[in-house]
Amino acid sequence: MRVELEEVLFSRGAFCLRASGAFDEGVHIVSGPVGSGKSTLAVLLAGLMPPASGVVRWQGVNSVLLLLQFPEHQITSPTVAKEAASWGLVPEEVLALADLEERADDDPFNLSRGELKRLTLACAFTRDPDLLLLDEPFSSLYCERNGWFCGMIEERGSGVTIIFSHEHAVLPRVDAIWEMDGGALRGCGSVPGAIPSWRHAPAYLTYALEMGARPENIRLADAREALCRIRD
Amino acid sequence: MIRISGLRHRVLEIPDLELDARHIAVIGPNGSGKTTLLEVISGIDEPETGTIRILGRPPSSLRVGWVGEFPDRTLLFSRVYDEIASTPRFRHFPCPETDRLVLAAAGLVGISNLLERKVASLSGGEKALVALAAACVGDPEVLVLDEADSHLDAGAAERLKKVAQESPATHILWCTQSMDTAAMADCIIFMKGGCILYQGTPEEVFDALRETCYYPTIWRLRG
Repeated sequence: MRVELEEVLFSRGAFCLRASGAFDEGVHIVSGPVGSGKSTLAVLLAGLMPPASGVVRWQGVNSVLLLLQFPEHQITSPTVAKEAASWGLVPEEVLALADLEERADDDPFNLSRGELKRLTLACAFTRDPDLLLLDEPFSSLYCERNGWFCGMIEERGSGVTIIFSHEHAVLPRVDAIWEMDGGALRGCGSVPGAIPSWRHAPAYLTYALEMGARPENIRLADAREALCRIRD
Repeated sequence: MIRISGLRHRVLEIPDLELDARHIAVIGPNGSGKTTLLEVISGIDEPETGTIRILGRPPSSLRVGWVGEFPDRTLLFSRVYDEIASTPRFRHFPCPETDRLVLAAAGLVGISNLLERKVASLSGGEKALVALAAACVGDPEVLVLDEADSHLDAGAAERLKKVAQESPATHILWCTQSMDTAAMADCIIFMKGGCILYQGTPEEVFDALRETCYYPTIWRLRG
């Protein structure tokens, strides 16, 4: 299972996106500055927009799901339970996963922003698509919920998961790192080899690298473990 | 000075609160009432019971700059320039003065290159920066940042910090999920279930939260 981008070109006004590379099965993180094209790349990978030129190839991918940056854009139903049902899911299961059982009959827009994010994340992970694209999934979630979300990513047994994010504190274990810069996609490579060349690494990873540590992955726990090994 | 007494509003229950700090970080779990508190402090919403005084005045009489996490909910105009110009235009400033203020605010936030763009064509993070420029252009006495940093990369988040630090606003209320950002504040309030559980300097509040994931990552790493 993989998604390939072959000399993909997309432009809108003065903005131009160029991307080549292959996303294999596993967890990928794509970071980059504001306006660098992360969300546009997510839409192209989801097949929701065709590129101006080049090809997006889905190999062995039978289901694709893009979770939008702003969860409110994804809501279609008047209650939390009906929203879960609209994804073709059993509401009780989704609401239990999202810890929103008591909000079943509430209007989704009466949820706090973090609760709304939890609802859409729980729907997406319960659907368990082959290709899961998550645009800024960490925004709005407080740290304990980020841990919950990272657990769901790490427990996803198969498929391609691509996270578009600049989260700085709570990150999951990933397999590969990518960066967007000025509309161009750059593959940093597989983890851990890619970590030193990751320009958008969170401060704790940068600190660990500066101290001479070599974290095995990108989580805070990996940075602490690596630092622990080099300290007297 | 921010004074709150006998506040009960939706999930909020704050009997008594005095905040004399300039930069105040508001942290806590989802649904703990952070945004609701910011809304009543900024005068967007009237509390059901209780009183709020900022600089000795009710919130509705203050100049407040508000930047929310979902800029689509607050951006009104289709062109970036017009969005930033809205406050001086609503105040009937002369056009040259409005133009000067818009260019200054856009320059301050680092989005001069976006002024002629359609808001609909911007990324989520760019919209947050436009909302920040629009909030700053009105010379706010109170600048409210409600998770405005949640869609920003590290570089843009640093720009936001710089704008907040250099803002002439008397109070900056910054709700954030970044504990490294909260650690820069003069004062932190930690909310849960509509109540303020901890209030104090970053050292005091994070000391109480040492065993939780709220403890700033970089503090934990430096041990």
